[in-house]
Amino acid sequence: MDKIYHLIMVPMVYLAVAWCIIGVAYRVVRMLRAPKPAHSLALFPRRIDGHVKALVEAFTWPTILRKQPVFWAFLVAFHVGLIIILFGHVDLFPQVNICPADSRHMLGAGLGGLLFTAPLLYFLQRRFKEPVRLISVPADYYLLLLMFLIGLTGISISWTNSWNPPIGFVITKAELATHYFDKLAHLSLASPIEGMLVNSHTIVVALHVLLANLFLMLLPFSKVMHAFLAVPLNRLRRV
Amino acid sequence: MDAATQKKLIGELGKKLNRAVRMYMDGCTRCGLCVDSCHAYVSDPKIEHSPVARAQNIRRLYERYFTLNGTFAPGLEEAVELDDAWMKKVYETAYTCTGCRRCMTVCPFGIDTQQIQGIAKQLLNVAGEAPMVLNMLADMSVAKGQTYRSTKDNFATAVGNLGGEIIEKWRSEGGDAVVPLDVEDCDVLYVALAGKHSIISAAAIMNAAGEKWSLSYFEAVNFGAFVGNPEKTRIISQRIIDEAQRLNAKKVVICECGTAFRVMKHMMGTLPFEVLSVVELMHQYVRDGRITLDKSKLEGKVTYHDPCQLARNGGVFDEPRHVLQQLTDNFVDTTPTREHNWCCGGGGGLVAMGEKDFRMSSAKVKADQVKATGATVLVTSCENCHTQLHDLNAHHDMGVRVEYLTELVADALIQP
Repeated sequence: MDKIYHLIMVPMVYLAVAWCIIGVAYRVVRMLRAPKPAHSLALFPRRIDGHVKALVEAFTWPTILRKQPVFWAFLVAFHVGLIIILFGHVDLFPQVNICPADSRHMLGAGLGGLLFTAPLLYFLQRRFKEPVRLISVPADYYLLLLMFLIGLTGISISWTNSWNPPIGFVITKAELATHYFDKLAHLSLASPIEGMLVNSHTIVVALHVLLANLFLMLLPFSKVMHAFLAVPLNRLRRV
Repeated sequence: MDAATQKKLIGELGKKLNRAVRMYMDGCTRCGLCVDSCHAYVSDPKIEHSPVARAQNIRRLYERYFTLNGTFAPGLEEAVELDDAWMKKVYETAYTCTGCRRCMTVCPFGIDTQQIQGIAKQLLNVAGEAPMVLNMLADMSVAKGQTYRSTKDNFATAVGNLGGEIIEKWRSEGGDAVVPLDVEDCDVLYVALAGKHSIISAAAIMNAAGEKWSLSYFEAVNFGAFVGNPEKTRIISQRIIDEAQRLNAKKVVICECGTAFRVMKHMMGTLPFEVLSVVELMHQYVRDGRITLDKSKLEGKVTYHDPCQLARNGGVFDEPRHVLQQLTDNFVDTTPTREHNWCCGGGGGLVAMGEKDFRMSSAKVKADQVKATGATVLVTSCENCHTQLHDLNAHHDMGVRVEYLTELVADALIQP
């Protein structure tokens, strides 16, 4: 079992990150190499500050706020949560100390995970209702489900090590930093299991990493690409 | 569909994948926000009328033939093979989209459904399945450009016969002729439609303003754009460009035709002359005091329909409203208005194709919007919109009189 944990948590992580970076770069380069449209596709009225308007629209989604404010609120929560958990994971590297190194809490103390995960339930139920159901494809569901499971396992890891005293019951944040993220930072192939508590909690950590790996590998071929396209697409509309 | 045709069509799809289209294909999250931005969906809520469903017809082909996920796991994206059945689906959505781009104002990413439906139309063109009537009109238009020299004299005689009707609207003559032709170094080359209505009022207005103008031998309407054939679109526009350059015209003024204006103004690149809509020209005349208008001529509550290709896609919002302020004190705007205004449902070649049942059912929201204003006069600045609104008025009992802005202005010219 330790070998499987090792495979998922070390080589597969490197592979997934490399795959994701290369995949995204490939798709972006392919777009950039395609010919520009023959004429402007911008809507009117055009404004001098079209670039600014495009940025505002790409990051604040005013049309969603106007038409579906509840959807907008969940989208804001989801993206804020995503930013918190991304920084939270960066903070797990011992070289980075956004939170004090001796804090048992991840950045946001679980709020990031909650903000990220709860809206996914709303997005999923929205997908099952008309008219969105009628325009959805299987990939739309698996992507949301995958992110939900990543969030759920992440919450489980984060909250258990945040709210339980370090009495050998769960893998602690300090253990993850020292025995896992530090090794990843040095591109080590050593197993994180060595030196880290192995118990029923380990499988949750491994499952979380496995799901995240799958997500990273699917990302360049999924609708998550909208993250890289939101700004240029809004520029097309406004400039 | 045989393999050679399929290969040819896939190749054509590949050629149309420019940078913007690739982003439109990959960027859509199918959030569904655009669904009720389409007049056709709101009037007749069938999902195939929604912008995203229309786009999916092309996106599924793109996924199948141009992405790894669609190639290796087509089921996940519901990517499809290009076959006759799918082309039928493509036809159904391509030529029911008016290309109004209202959905683009709502989409969080600004995805341009018209561009995507342009690909659908091109595939149908290559497959020989585009609407015959639009292709015939486009071909006739192209042919007319090639043979116009042999019909110049007949054209001159025909427009000369309009002189009486023009003088009725404006008694003094602005230039040497009521309808001047081939005027070198003219300030305005006016490009009309085939019907005399688009010449008479504009001629009276330009003569009243003392304009040095010339009537183009060509008609403005671009059936190449309606049928979705970029080459025919270019040919139809290029002959007007050539004529303007031959006459050394300072401005090319397009009659009340939204598509013709957008193609010439925004899709033909940098031109050696200014391109204006006749609406903008009238606005300049009013603003500069070159014409004065009699407000007592127009009675009743007046509202204005923004033609999509002139307003949202052409940038002409304020000018018609300023002109209308000189014609009436009883103007009421529609809700929504300007760039958010509902499409009339007649664009994209639908009026030329007939399709009256679909046009009437898909534009109920437009009829309801006009009725809600309580107006008795509905003004617009586009031939297509005028025809569609006229039909809608009768079908949905809107209780309005549909008018061209040029005709109202010509009728209200104050004689010296």
